[in-house]
Amino acid sequence: MPGSPAVLAKVKNAVTANWARLVLGLVSVSIFIASWALISVYLSESGSSLSPYVPGPLSVADAFVSSFVDSVPGLADTTMWDMISSSLIRVFWGFLLAMLVALPMGLAMGSFRVLDSMGKPLVEMFRPIPPLAWVPIFLMVFKSFWGPIGIVFLGVFFPILLNVIFGVKNVDQRLVDAARTLGAKRMTVFTKVVMPSIVPYMMTGIKVGLGVGWMCIVAAEMMPIQGGTGVGYYIWLSADYGRYDFTYATMLVIGLLSILTTGVAEMIEKRVSRWMGMR
Amino acid sequence: MDGDAMSVCIEIRGLSKVFTTGKRRVVALEGLDMDVADGEFVCLLGPSGCGKTTVLRIVAGLEPATGGSVLVHGKGVSSAGPERGMVFQEFALFPWRTVRRNIEFGLEIRGVPEGKRRAISSDLIDLVGLKGFEDAHPDELSGGMRQRVGIARALANEPTVLLMDEPFGSLDAQTRNLMQKELLRIWSATKKTVLFVTHSVDEAVFLADRIMVMTARPGKIREVIPVPLKRPRDRTSAEFIAVRGTVLAELDEEFEKARAKELSPD
Repeated sequence: MPGSPAVLAKVKNAVTANWARLVLGLVSVSIFIASWALISVYLSESGSSLSPYVPGPLSVADAFVSSFVDSVPGLADTTMWDMISSSLIRVFWGFLLAMLVALPMGLAMGSFRVLDSMGKPLVEMFRPIPPLAWVPIFLMVFKSFWGPIGIVFLGVFFPILLNVIFGVKNVDQRLVDAARTLGAKRMTVFTKVVMPSIVPYMMTGIKVGLGVGWMCIVAAEMMPIQGGTGVGYYIWLSADYGRYDFTYATMLVIGLLSILTTGVAEMIEKRVSRWMGMR
Repeated sequence: MDGDAMSVCIEIRGLSKVFTTGKRRVVALEGLDMDVADGEFVCLLGPSGCGKTTVLRIVAGLEPATGGSVLVHGKGVSSAGPERGMVFQEFALFPWRTVRRNIEFGLEIRGVPEGKRRAISSDLIDLVGLKGFEDAHPDELSGGMRQRVGIARALANEPTVLLMDEPFGSLDAQTRNLMQKELLRIWSATKKTVLFVTHSVDEAVFLADRIMVMTARPGKIREVIPVPLKRPRDRTSAEFIAVRGTVLAELDEEFEKARAKELSPD
């Protein structure tokens, strides 16, 4: 087999390349943490006024761990778990509501030209407005629980809506023809061809929507209001208390949760497309 | 028994089709007449763009005719229906359905109970030679196997007519030859009427009872050439080559006309 040594070499190269990437990645992260520690020490030794804003990596790690174990500074009987759960519950509701409205609306707008022409101007009018612009009004009208949910709703709604409309319009016409020659009428074409066809598009909308929704919740919770909860709220509160180590720890939590939510969305997307035979 | 071999299955009279896009008006078909007998295998052959596929789509009910009449067993065609099965060039399989569930699509929407559906699809899977691939998805199959699914799916509805739109056009030469033999085997086992669109002279002479050569646009039937050869046909036999020559001569003339038209529009 003349090809096999070349193939082997290729595999070997790929493995070495992966290791090299991992090592290089670790190097850059280590350099970052070391410089962070150095700057932090330098600022506190030199008595700089910036020092409180730059706690060292160790104290941030310490705050991170203790925020999950003990109640956080500024709030009695509250741990990071409580913050996370109240944020996730809001994202969940905002997401669910957005899905329940965007999916049927997208199907309708994608299927009927009249509805598309009627809906489009409205969509294009509201879509460019950042969801966060609604924060003051939503918080006053819907209060601290439903207000942020409304913001998440707006963030999730448009990606799902637009992707579903796009999906319906991009249904493979040949599949529709095939279904018709097999005896399918309009309604059957819709349920057995259009609906399954849009699933991958819908999943893209969900993935993008979850990312946007998570960004929205953090910002929407940051408003200093009575009885606030959630990770976004605690970013603001800990800073107000001067506990910047906890502020950074919360930022770390938010980053990790963001990775987690997109990871879950990607996993669901893969599962669904494999289940549907569309890899 | 009504063993009348000449009873008409498809009857087309004065068929015309005009496509209008914006201000452009393209006359695709004009005054096309043709008959296909019950159980007959007819190939529709013509230069590309002559409207072969359009004829098929009108018979299938996927496209309305602009004028003329299309009767299938005496009944006018108004919309698509399961009695006219269609096999597509690009297979058009449902990618999210397994082989079996693709084949059962027509039965499913007619409400055939699951047990019966399974029995029918199993028979068809045997017939088209897909045993062992029942639970595979289309993207796991080769082109030839995908088209076997396409054929089985169309047959599941027990159509009286099988409309085939260049079904082997996207397959490689070897697979194509194999699929032609397979199709003839399936055809003799099921006794369907087949209307088969192709632009390959070789394919038409190998398969058809009669070849209908179409004119360049606007398309109509230029010549009906019977193929009196026994099956299985030998591509290298003198008779085969003779028929091939006749068809090719007809087609070449149309091809030249089409080219001349392209070079000097109107």
